Amino acid sequence: MHRSSRMKLLAGFLTIIALSVIVAGSNTANAQDVAVGQAKANVLAVLVVTAEQDLAFGDVMQGVPDAVASGSADAGWFKVAGAESKEVSMYLQLPDYLWNDSTTAGGASDEDRMVVAFKDNDLTIGILAASIAGTPGAGAITDLDPHNIAERALGATPNNELHLFLGGTVFPTVDQRTGVYSADIVFTAAYTGQ
Amino acid sequence: MSGYRVLTRHSSRMGWRVLSLSLVLFAILATELSANVLVAPTSVILSEKQRTGRLTVRNPTNKPVEIEIRFSYGLPVSDSLGNVKIKFQDSLVTDPHSALGWIKAFPRKMILDPSTSQIIRFLARPPKNLSDGEYWARIMVRSQEGKTSIPVPSDREGISTRLNMIMQTAIVLKYRTGSLLSKIELRNTEVWQTDSSVIALIDMKNRGNVSYVGILKCRLLDARNKEISQDKIDLAVYYDLMRRVELPVTEGNFTKPYKVEISISTDGRTDIPPQDMIIGNKIEYVATVED
Repeated sequence: MHRSSRMKLLAGFLTIIALSVIVAGSNTANAQDVAVGQAKANVLAVLVVTAEQDLAFGDVMQGVPDAVASGSADAGWFKVAGAESKEVSMYLQLPDYLWNDSTTAGGASDEDRMVVAFKDNDLTIGILAASIAGTPGAGAITDLDPHNIAERALGATPNNELHLFLGGTVFPTVDQRTGVYSADIVFTAAYTGQ
Repeated sequence: MSGYRVLTRHSSRMGWRVLSLSLVLFAILATELSANVLVAPTSVILSEKQRTGRLTVRNPTNKPVEIEIRFSYGLPVSDSLGNVKIKFQDSLVTDPHSALGWIKAFPRKMILDPSTSQIIRFLARPPKNLSDGEYWARIMVRSQEGKTSIPVPSDREGISTRLNMIMQTAIVLKYRTGSLLSKIELRNTEVWQTDSSVIALIDMKNRGNVSYVGILKCRLLDARNKEISQDKIDLAVYYDLMRRVELPVTEGNFTKPYKVEISISTDGRTDIPPQDMIIGNKIEYVATVED
């Protein structure tokens, strides 16, 4: 058989296997060895970042600071999953203010802001697949600085996951205008070895 | 005979392409369905012969997701302790090896419906008379929920807050042109023992004109060459890089003095298709651990 035809046939087999895995409902996310006859290939799992939960201060009162600890069930929660033992660089872009933007009766834009702060111990990293906000689990690394996260290798768990739990504090002023205040937290992840 | 060789090489390349596409499809589809967006492959390589490339973004959730593609510049850099970080820079990039500014993405913004995929295409329009070598950028795939729910204060006169969690995956993009050389130099190595481990601090310099992508292996051996422990790190050296490797001293009948066997090579990177690998030099070095 012509070599390119053989490769097409091989690709066909691989596609069938991939679809079979999906149909079977597999949740496998990690680097895998796929073998068909003599062909063997290693698949690098894609780097997946998930925002599992927003950092929730909820309703706050004028003049009363409100803190959420990184070990709290209200902590912000990002999950990183990828290939076994690969090292990941992580970076959090944190806001200084939450903004309230409303329109006055006259149609003009009227802005107010509320200070939000992140201390150098407001981050916890859970290494267990079962880590959830409020219960980071055994082996969790606490009191980390969210402004400066050291690189970490995936692979401490069978699912090759890291769970980042972020706390913070908002400082409403005594004359803080009522309404909804919001801001963005951007989490960036990249493999360091590429 | 030469015709056969050409045909074989062409078939092999085509085979790898088909195989890579199948594997990317497999990796994307097989990833668990709780994820927000999936991006594959993990690197995009362009060249003067292949000025276009592609990424696949998939939304496996049951909610629409807003995607934005941007470019940034970021290389792995290390501090004096050997900790590595990727520092991203969106503007004022002065590195002549930056590809920022002449790589385009199509489309750049989209809403992905549940369980759908989108192919993002990249086009390189490099300046003329580019020197031989490799040029770099990072593709930032930013994603957030397509419809964010606005919180409503429980009290009409109350204050409510919301912090939107936005995810960004940084994918490396490399553009190669001309004659390429992958070469690394071991500048300095320090090893020392702590209570429970041996630390190796390895200082490397890139002497080629492409990023040196390989594997750093360290083995801790006793005086009789009995292995105590080992570690392996995927390496990407763009300019200079210092790596810290911690090798545990396990319990056993080991004879001092210990030594650390260091090996740096481009062999063994199974996460990168062979046609995208640039084979470089190998370094082997043994450092004795002083008591």
